[in-house]
Amino acid sequence: MNFSWPSILLYTCCAGSLLAISGCDQLPGKPKESDRWIAPDAIKDFKQLFGTNCSACHGDDAAIGPSLSVQNPFYLAIVPKDVLKKLIAEGVKGTAMPGFAKANGGDLADEQIDILVNNLAGKAATQQTSGSGKTSSENLPPYSASPGDTDRGSEAYNQYCAGCHGQAGNGGKKAGSIVDPDYLHLVSDQYLRSIIIAGRPELGMPNYQEFVKNHPMSPEDIANVVAWLASHRHGASEANAAVSPTATVSSQ
Amino acid sequence: MMSTLRTVALWLERRLHLTKLWNQTAGHPVPASTGSWFYTFGSMTLTCFCIQILTGIFLAMSYVPSAAESYHSLELLNYSIPLGWVLRGIHYWGSTCMVIVMMLHMTQVFLWGAYKYPRELTWISGCILLFVTLGLAFSGQVMRFDTDAYWGVGIGASVAGRIPIIGEALVHILLGGPIIGSDALSRFFSLHVFILPGALLAFVSLHLRLVLGKGINEQPKPGVLVKRETYDKHYSEIIKREGVPFVPAAINKDIVANGILILVIVGLALFVGPNGPGTPADPTIQIADAKPDTPFLWLFACAALLPNGSEPWLFFVFPLVASLLLFLLPFITNEGEKHWRRRPVAVAIVILSYLGIGLLTYEAITGPWSPQMDAWSGLPIKAEYVKGRTPLELQGAVVFQDMQCRNCHAIAGEGGHRGPDLTQVATRMTNPQLVRQVIQGGGNMPAFGKNLSPEQTRALVAYLCSLHPPNVPPAREAVGVLKPIGETQPTPSPTPGNVAVRGEK
Ligand code: HEC
Ligand code: HEC
Ligand code: HEC
Repeated sequence: MNFSWPSILLYTCCAGSLLAISGCDQLPGKPKESDRWIAPDAIKDFKQLFGTNCSACHGDDAAIGPSLSVQNPFYLAIVPKDVLKKLIAEGVKGTAMPGFAKANGGDLADEQIDILVNNLAGKAATQQTSGSGKTSSENLPPYSASPGDTDRGSEAYNQYCAGCHGQAGNGGKKAGSIVDPDYLHLVSDQYLRSIIIAGRPELGMPNYQEFVKNHPMSPEDIANVVAWLASHRHGASEANAAVSPTATVSSQ
Repeated sequence: MMSTLRTVALWLERRLHLTKLWNQTAGHPVPASTGSWFYTFGSMTLTCFCIQILTGIFLAMSYVPSAAESYHSLELLNYSIPLGWVLRGIHYWGSTCMVIVMMLHMTQVFLWGAYKYPRELTWISGCILLFVTLGLAFSGQVMRFDTDAYWGVGIGASVAGRIPIIGEALVHILLGGPIIGSDALSRFFSLHVFILPGALLAFVSLHLRLVLGKGINEQPKPGVLVKRETYDKHYSEIIKREGVPFVPAAINKDIVANGILILVIVGLALFVGPNGPGTPADPTIQIADAKPDTPFLWLFACAALLPNGSEPWLFFVFPLVASLLLFLLPFITNEGEKHWRRRPVAVAIVILSYLGIGLLTYEAITGPWSPQMDAWSGLPIKAEYVKGRTPLELQGAVVFQDMQCRNCHAIAGEGGHRGPDLTQVATRMTNPQLVRQVIQGGGNMPAFGKNLSPEQTRALVAYLCSLHPPNVPPAREAVGVLKPIGETQPTPSPTPGNVAVRGEK
């Protein structure tokens, strides 16, 4: 092997032309806009906000969350916008739902919470106008109501729920126990109510219209079943607040 | 025409003595056997240095060494200034290659016994060059001023702070204050662009002077021993016998190797691109995913793998001893055999160092020890690990997310990898064991006893117990039996049997 000055020239030309031909701007090494760091406060995209802050617990289009899907059409149809905003900003005390507003130790700016609320509310609106959902045609039960009568709740339970959750609520073939005191301790009455109305279709739990064919649960039945469930909590007799009273751990 | 040129050339020659300079430097005689691929690493290192100076000058035209603006100026280079990213890429990869090539050069010199008599000072000046280069790589990483840089400065400060007596003052000089801010950045900037490159130039000159003065080491032959009394005569005989001028006789392979090196560096810059800048440095944001640049990755891996409390050893005692050994090497074995075939210890040292550094670097690249900070709220659990769970287990999964277990533990491979993947944890741990692990922590896992109510603990463990493949039974005792939790739990114990598990009914 014998290399001379011409060959050095050749090399330099190779390197130079490699640079030039490539046009450089199409090469994979060029930093992409999408890799650019964005300040967490500057994220304005609903999908991204929901994906990074909520999807792990509530799921999203692609995933199932261990907690209720807040994008469930029935849920979105009943929950008032201001309540939704308060829930996201302040969380639900005594449960795993953290407050996301900066004032509550969260990471989201008010503007970002508004983006979440507006988009969720917007989804509800399109679902209703599209007319495909049963959410618009029926008289929906109100989002919140004080718990009803425990004994009548027991009857309603047997009528609507026992087929899946077992005779005493201890669990059956199709679904697990909903009277477990530990379970009830970790969720609020409002959550139970939301679940009964909206169901958890992603897990095989129907909504309030579907438990019994052509016979939707009445608002009273819903309130009564919530009361009956809440009566299984430890210390349920002392307090019957909307939020599980025995909860000890502050969110986050 | 030709004659005027000749006159000018002669006029210059008489004043600058260029021929003599040429003969003493580029044209100096070297043993013909050194025209070998193994002897090209030195010049490659020099080429890297030249590339760094060139690209560094251009980078300095755009870079603003202030905490407020450095990040923005790098973004400008990346996204706005034409080919700015190529410049950054070449500078970044040039630095990485410089450290690697320098290491290869040192290895060759070590294995060829070139550090022995009479080239001790050449070796020592080379060691100084190594440390200056590492200093440049380190301070260069600080220029990015992102979280990686922050991590680096933090470690650097803690190393410097361990030096007896002057440690604290040194940290103060380095950082210019108690926090890592603009003062620290401008100090590292002057280190990176003035002090260290200046030092490097000076020591490169010394190094080359020594290389020229003492001659390039001949290819050693097994059995030919170096003796202080006879070596000089031996070497001048070699030069007389097979000496050739370095240029043009022995430089060919250097040219090819350097051409390839330049292509590799430019190619890496074009196809892999520059590094970062990542998340901007911010003292209020917890650094979760910082990693140093390649030359320091192995140290990072050491820090992560060694038990807590070993840092003083890792960052102070070990470097001190290692560098002392390095500097004193030519005096430890000054004479004797040069050929690697007759020096098994030297070969073993090289193999072990490469294996060690290589494995540690690999570990650092692949081992995601850093927790994944947004997994708890942003990483859904795969549907099959949610479906078919009882309401209590579902709440357990919520607790699992809420307590940020997921930041350290993956389920189905997704999540942090600080702790073990828990996809099948129920097959190896029973219910009481799980309770103990959660309440008391252990290993590198924090204890959650104080943060969890008994209900949360039972829900959480119920969920963990559901994590086993359908065809593999959970560890014995695990299903359905929730024992009262030990003394740490003051609240009433649950009624056994309340926990419904699908399939039992
Ligand atoms: C760590 C898990 C977790 C994360 C993350 C989380 N939530 Fe929740 N969320 C819960 C739990 C648990 C509840 C039920 C609280 C209760 O029992 O009332 C809940 C309740 C809610 C409710 C009220 C449901 C009702 O019954 O009316 C809304 C709305 C909600 N979350 C929205 C969000 C949004 C939006 C985000 C993202 C910004 C989010 N959540 C993030 C766990 C979480
Ligand atoms: C068609 C069967 C079915 C019927 C009828 C049914 N459920 Fe469910 N329910 C489920 C399934 C499936 C789940 C998911 C959990 C599981 O698999 O155990 C569930 C879960 C729940 C949960 C826990 C959800 C959570 O996110 O924590 C509650 C509470 C609940 N059901 C209450 C009720 C009540 C009250 C009724 C009657 C008004 C009822 N269910 C009727 C199938 C049913
Ligand atoms: C800071 C990171 C971190 C967090 C947060 C964390 N863990 Fe761990 N976890 C670890 C590490 C590290 C180990 C390995 C401990 C050892 O070496 O013994 C571990 C071990 C475990 C184990 C034993 C696994 C096995 O196969 O041996 C379980 C179970 C566990 N963790 C559950 C949890 C739960 C539940 C939570 C949330 C309440 C949690 N961890 C939170 C780091 C973490």
